[in-house]
Amino acid sequence: MNKNNSKMLTADEASKIVASSVIRRRKKDARLKTYGRIAIGLAVSFLIFLFVSIFSKGIPGFFQYYVTLDVYLDRDRLDPKGDLSPESLYNGDARSIVLESLYKVINPKGRKEKKAAKKIISSNADVRISKMVLDNSKILGKTISITFAVDDDIDSFLRGYIKRETPSSERRINDTVIKFVDKLSAENRISYKFSDYILTGSASRSPEIAGIKGAFIGSMLTLAVCFIIAFPLGVATAVYLEEFAPKNRITEIIEVNINNLAAVPSVVFGILGLAIFIGVFGMPRSIPLLGGMVLALMTLPTIIISSRAAIRAVPPSIKDAAYGIGASKLQTIFHHVLPLAMPGMLTGTIIGMAQALGETAPLLMIGMVAFIVDIPGGVTDPGTVLPVQIFMWADFAERMFIQKTSSAIIVLLVFLIFMNAAAVILRKKLERRW
Amino acid sequence: MVSNSNINNVKTKTIGEIFSKDPKIICRNVDVFYGEKQAIKDVSIDIASREIISFIGPSGCGKSTFLRCLNRMNDTIDTCKVKGSISLDKEDIYDEKIDVVTLRAKIGMVFQKPNPFPKSIYENVAYGPKIHGLSSSKEELDFIVENSLKDSGLWEEVKDRLQSPGTGLSGGQQQRLCIARAIAVSPEIILMDEPCSALDPIATAKIEELINQLGKNYSIVIVTHSMQQAARISQRTAYFHLGELIEVGETKKIFTMPKDKQTEAYISGRIG
Repeated sequence: MNKNNSKMLTADEASKIVASSVIRRRKKDARLKTYGRIAIGLAVSFLIFLFVSIFSKGIPGFFQYYVTLDVYLDRDRLDPKGDLSPESLYNGDARSIVLESLYKVINPKGRKEKKAAKKIISSNADVRISKMVLDNSKILGKTISITFAVDDDIDSFLRGYIKRETPSSERRINDTVIKFVDKLSAENRISYKFSDYILTGSASRSPEIAGIKGAFIGSMLTLAVCFIIAFPLGVATAVYLEEFAPKNRITEIIEVNINNLAAVPSVVFGILGLAIFIGVFGMPRSIPLLGGMVLALMTLPTIIISSRAAIRAVPPSIKDAAYGIGASKLQTIFHHVLPLAMPGMLTGTIIGMAQALGETAPLLMIGMVAFIVDIPGGVTDPGTVLPVQIFMWADFAERMFIQKTSSAIIVLLVFLIFMNAAAVILRKKLERRW
Repeated sequence: MVSNSNINNVKTKTIGEIFSKDPKIICRNVDVFYGEKQAIKDVSIDIASREIISFIGPSGCGKSTFLRCLNRMNDTIDTCKVKGSISLDKEDIYDEKIDVVTLRAKIGMVFQKPNPFPKSIYENVAYGPKIHGLSSSKEELDFIVENSLKDSGLWEEVKDRLQSPGTGLSGGQQQRLCIARAIAVSPEIILMDEPCSALDPIATAKIEELINQLGKNYSIVIVTHSMQQAARISQRTAYFHLGELIEVGETKKIFTMPKDKQTEAYISGRIG
């Protein structure tokens, strides 16, 4: 019995107490809701800030300034051997032909002015002419108007990053160059249009002709290698650990370590790749094959963990049904467990791949940061990847690389969003209800 | 081989008639352990050819555990250990030489919750014959599927939509699909673990009717919580309590004149 003389409350008293506490509880609910909204608002505003900043810098990076010149394509000077071979065109005099047509417009006087004039047009102009001739040799001997990318300093000047008011000694371009550019604009020869180079060019020290094609293809090759290695290994590991492994000390240790590996900083995997793949096996550095192998090491834990979760989520009743009818373990796994677990496995794999796509540090360790102009043609050609390209461009001094960096980030983000969307669609499509 | 001389010479506390004249399955002194815990204690019982026997008893008494011993479904649980002998046609099923796959092809199983594969109705029934190689042609397989569905009384309801998913059927239909799947591999014995506990009374009545039909061709062991069901469909009834087999006998006798006090208490509703 009650010792301290307290007794049961009557219904009236109880409901009064409840009513007064309800107000307090409601207030608490409301407060929690407000905190949640503030948190979400902050997160969203950061995201918006990030996107606005990247897009405002990056979108102009897809465009650049061009100058249009009427060029007389002299057959003898462009193609000294006369066989239209790339070597012959390379030995030709395209650069001076371009400069001559420029001089015709701006009339530079003396050596100093000519030197200044040379700075206007991108160093890539001769390559452009050689390519045009290679594509269509009929243009030889004619005068046609061709657009050339302007040099990055002129581009920055036209965008207003290099200011006219700045004293000449502190500018990267002198007054003579500005005079020539003004003359070209006055003749309507300067145009601003979608860049020919950003999506189709590869790495270059000259920002006006630098592009991300090499890095993009490098990324694709690296990811392909990563997927081919990591997916089968990860799924096989998950199936073994879930379905076959005896539950003992050793498997427990393995499990704990796999979970730990998922949290290991990626640069450590880079060092591992450097030490083992390059150091012990003597693989060449900077190749997508090596990059893919290192990224596979990194994504394996993610794939194993998500695959195990997917296998565990398969209802035991389905396994019982298969065993009950006399299916062997292998048949049960391949006919029932894996098909049902596949959406979850693929989702985990794509998320792992997306993580690998954005990874920079381990690739720096294995030399994928090398300056490689050629676009890789296979997994054993030296190459680089998008995030590393972004990292390199962000490090370059030229003003124009700032926009290029943001443009490359946009491409990377689009790629990532595409992959994540693929994961969602795949899961929705393959998901079966039971 | 278990010799004939001593199989009917077994010490048991069980009351009633544990032996049958034409035994299909012979269980002697079966103990089952989950780790340290003993779930089944010294159970001996015969299961005859073409008889329907029901296992009843309060929750957690071990009747499902014992049922799952009969087709070695307990193998999938690591901590589970079975002692004693269980033989099918006088061959010990826990013998190393016995392949569990062939055993389960002979002893089909239907579970508490209908568990069709997330595949088409046709695929559900055809799966067993396919993996065991019971048919050599598409026509044979079609024949097996049709016959199994007819035997389970589902054919008329699904013959026009064999390719639609099995999971789209109603609960009762799903359970009959599972029975069709079990009989598609031509087993000798069908184990049923509370097959009607997730079904409504109408679906239950259909399944019970089906079990009565199947009893003519198969031995059926059914675990049930419903004593009325046991009384309606089974010829023999076994009462389990706390892992022990208390009493076995003809269903009529068990329900009208139980010899054991615990059985009587359970049947009259005092335990359970």
